[in-house]
Amino acid sequence: MDIIVLVKQVPDPEALVEIGASGKDLNIEPKFAVNLFDEFALEEALRIKEKHGGKVKALSLGGPKAMEALRTAIAMGADEAVLIEDDAYAARDGYSTALALFKALEKETFDIILTGRQAIDADRGEVPQMVSQMLGLPHVGVVVKLDISDGKAEAVSSLEGAKEVVEVALPAVFTAQKGLNEPRVPLITGVMKAMKVQIPKLTIEDLGLTKDMAAPENSKTQIVRYLPPKKRPAVQLIPGEAREAAAEAVRILVDIERVI
Amino acid sequence: MGKVLVFVETKGDEPRKASLELLCEAEKLAASGKFSVEAVCFGAMSDVLKGRLLSCVRRLVRFTDPELAAYSPEGYARALAGYAAETGARMIVAGATGIGRDFLPRVAVMLGTGMVSDVTGANWFDEPMTFVRPMFGGKVFAEVAFPASPVVVTARPNSFAMDIPEGVNGEYEEKAAGSLGGAIHTRVVRVEETKGDAVDLTEADLIVAGGRGLKAAENFKLIEDLAAAIGGTVGATRSVVDAKWRDQADQIGKSGKTVSPKLYIGAGISGAIHHIMGMDTSKVVLAVNRDPNAIIFNYANYGIVGDLFEVLPAMTEEIRKRKERG
Amino acid sequence: MDFAFTEEQQFFKKIITDTVDRMVVPRAREIDEKDEFPWELWKEFTRLGYLGLRYPEEIGGMNADPVTAMIFYEQIARGSVGFAQSVIMNILMGTYFVYRFGSQAIKERCLYPAMRGEKIATMCFTEDQSGSDLAATRTTAVKDGNEWVINGTKMWITNGPHADIATVLATTDPSLGAKGLNFFLVEKGTPGFSPGQILDKLGCRGTVTGELVFDNVRIPEENLLGAELNKGVEYLAEILDEVRVMTAAMAMGIAQAAYDEGLEYAKKRIAFGKPIGTYQLIRAKFADMATEMEASRLLIYSAAWKIKEKLPSRLEAAMAKMFATETCLKVVDEVTRIWGANAFANEYNPQRHFRDARFLLYGGGTHEILKDFMGRMLIGK
Repeated sequence: MDIIVLVKQVPDPEALVEIGASGKDLNIEPKFAVNLFDEFALEEALRIKEKHGGKVKALSLGGPKAMEALRTAIAMGADEAVLIEDDAYAARDGYSTALALFKALEKETFDIILTGRQAIDADRGEVPQMVSQMLGLPHVGVVVKLDISDGKAEAVSSLEGAKEVVEVALPAVFTAQKGLNEPRVPLITGVMKAMKVQIPKLTIEDLGLTKDMAAPENSKTQIVRYLPPKKRPAVQLIPGEAREAAAEAVRILVDIERVI
Repeated sequence: MGKVLVFVETKGDEPRKASLELLCEAEKLAASGKFSVEAVCFGAMSDVLKGRLLSCVRRLVRFTDPELAAYSPEGYARALAGYAAETGARMIVAGATGIGRDFLPRVAVMLGTGMVSDVTGANWFDEPMTFVRPMFGGKVFAEVAFPASPVVVTARPNSFAMDIPEGVNGEYEEKAAGSLGGAIHTRVVRVEETKGDAVDLTEADLIVAGGRGLKAAENFKLIEDLAAAIGGTVGATRSVVDAKWRDQADQIGKSGKTVSPKLYIGAGISGAIHHIMGMDTSKVVLAVNRDPNAIIFNYANYGIVGDLFEVLPAMTEEIRKRKERG
Repeated sequence: MDFAFTEEQQFFKKIITDTVDRMVVPRAREIDEKDEFPWELWKEFTRLGYLGLRYPEEIGGMNADPVTAMIFYEQIARGSVGFAQSVIMNILMGTYFVYRFGSQAIKERCLYPAMRGEKIATMCFTEDQSGSDLAATRTTAVKDGNEWVINGTKMWITNGPHADIATVLATTDPSLGAKGLNFFLVEKGTPGFSPGQILDKLGCRGTVTGELVFDNVRIPEENLLGAELNKGVEYLAEILDEVRVMTAAMAMGIAQAAYDEGLEYAKKRIAFGKPIGTYQLIRAKFADMATEMEASRLLIYSAAWKIKEKLPSRLEAAMAKMFATETCLKVVDEVTRIWGANAFANEYNPQRHFRDARFLLYGGGTHEILKDFMGRMLIGK
């Protein structure tokens, strides 16, 4: 089983995100992590490899910092990694990201593509399905269990809470959801390999794309500006004994807020 | 006049709430005279459901292909994109439900366009159209312009007002996409676990969530009772799910579900940032916690500083009393 | 000048930080409360291979340079100083002389298993009447045929009660003072070698510390860990700086853990309608803490770099140990003030950091001894 895992380096979930003075950019605290859902994808790929043989290759699109995500993949046990180094494509929109990944994947041979169900920075959840469509491959989304046998997969998909068991012939794309597995802590042998490994880089031109295809004026969608979340008014504490406060809370919710 | 296709998901005799909200929003667009709106449905449809939908939308198209009876990303995408291409649709919208978010990206690629996912607001009449969507788990919102055509959008449930239109009496047509069989490579072999009739957390209007403060799995009964009394859905924090007190499907937060109900009641929840990021777009928040410094109070409209073991049953009882009084 | 970690070191820092966050941090409180050796965590953690941190790759180590090693020591101590103390004993002091002087047979029997976590190692310096003053060591080693006979009692031995292999400091002749000292390898099961009293400690709990008794312990000749007799103090000098800087790095680990707790609390705790972190007196504490922690790290990592480059580092290592540990003591104290009375509750972490910090005052030389030593280096005898 040759497996390609699409991984993204994202700001740490706890990193501060502030809107720049112009409103057109973000100031993000420089703390990074591998996208949580991609870690599940990576772990699953490694487990499939351990069971069925083959190799695991991690592929990422991003700036130079994305190298760290790929090194983490190697540390965990991936055999190879490739970085498509391009900030513009990575920052543009789901379509541009999918296009760059598709161009790289087109040249690869694989049985399975695994990736997270969404990246926790842009929160789009579009790219895996777009890549699947571009490749003309089926996908199973939000997977919480994956069994591979005889060139096909049985994946448990949890799109809407219910668990649907979906059968699909390989090659196919799967998007990982929390619950699929518990990602491993890398062994020091993996860490050492990851520290030394030379990870090849591809440019967008290597993939037959041009910089201006991802220029803001040419992209399918573009972020115009950033807005802060709506501020909630200060909390109103409801006084009184438990019973009294409970009754007052119900009155507010029913009669004033009219939400019940 | 731009054509707008609203993909409508149904459940029994009801449209899903996210779909209905979009139909209500789309009717406003139709009423403006600038857009023509069609609802697109796949699979079986009862007369009750048909009547329900036709009172909200001016035209309803149902695809009767047997391959669309069950969801498949490829089949649904092919049918919807095919119809969008055939009708020269300007815009395709769907609820940002599990299914909507799963197959709309394929529709976008089939139509050679991009998409904007999980929007919470829209300026339909801007040129180009712009949408507002959360990023970084709601820490920031982005206004996204959509110069490409057609426009493909999924909208977060509970983001658009459900103003049921009056006096609409739509027309109905059945169609077949044809030749879907060869396009579908996934097959649902069985369903392992259905959620019954409980509303999925992401769509729930009313949520009662519990945290570590409940002290034990069996004490979630207090949360369940209050949820039942108000017709809400139960949610949980990560630590509760990690402790296996609740199923992962109940988890609200960064690694679980992002919710934005009309009412969120959180009891025994300190307010870890992971959890906050999953619920802070809720409209009204009531927090119950013993600790007056619990972070959750900073994200609440109302707070009760008290023992949840007393407050929750008292609220449940109060609601039941009110119901009895009518 | 270049003050940056290399890309490799940055990556290592990221990995070990995540590993500690996942495996150690969630257990720190329990380790402290139980004050028992955390066997389960030991097995899980040592499986990852970090105990070979300093040793060559050919024998299953990582061959980490001293800068990289300090990154590790700092992070593991940030997780739990009790656990860190046990781990670092196997990585550094407990195995160094075995690695340096052990025969191949000894290495295979003692060092390699210790690098895998299968054997627990310790180093026995301190006695009831000697610590920083090594020349006062009373444990004796007497040659008898082709065996050494060890007699004496060691105190404050990290991992002592569980140790499978002990590197023991003993004198061949008490009248020679520091010039009679040697290191000997004593293995568990050797007749006459037994654990004594276990200490109930203020902090650094979870690493088991206690007395080791040597009563006519007979060991083979090859268990003398040294190329020449009576050169123990010279051999010790080979790792003394590393041990001192390591202690400083551990201090920064504790300081960082405390600082993070303080920061979270200052943002969250509301007083007079505002988070306390918005008040100037609290902000000033953070300015001071962050400055002194930065200064400590500059001392630690520049000293580690000197050790790596084999430049003189005796003075710098002593400075780093003293300054970082004193900074740590200040930080844990300030954090208990920021936390107010909550810092006094055993339910929360600041009291643990407050207790743990004091442990680092002693290892690698008390600050009184270190100051005197530095003064002598600076002014002359």
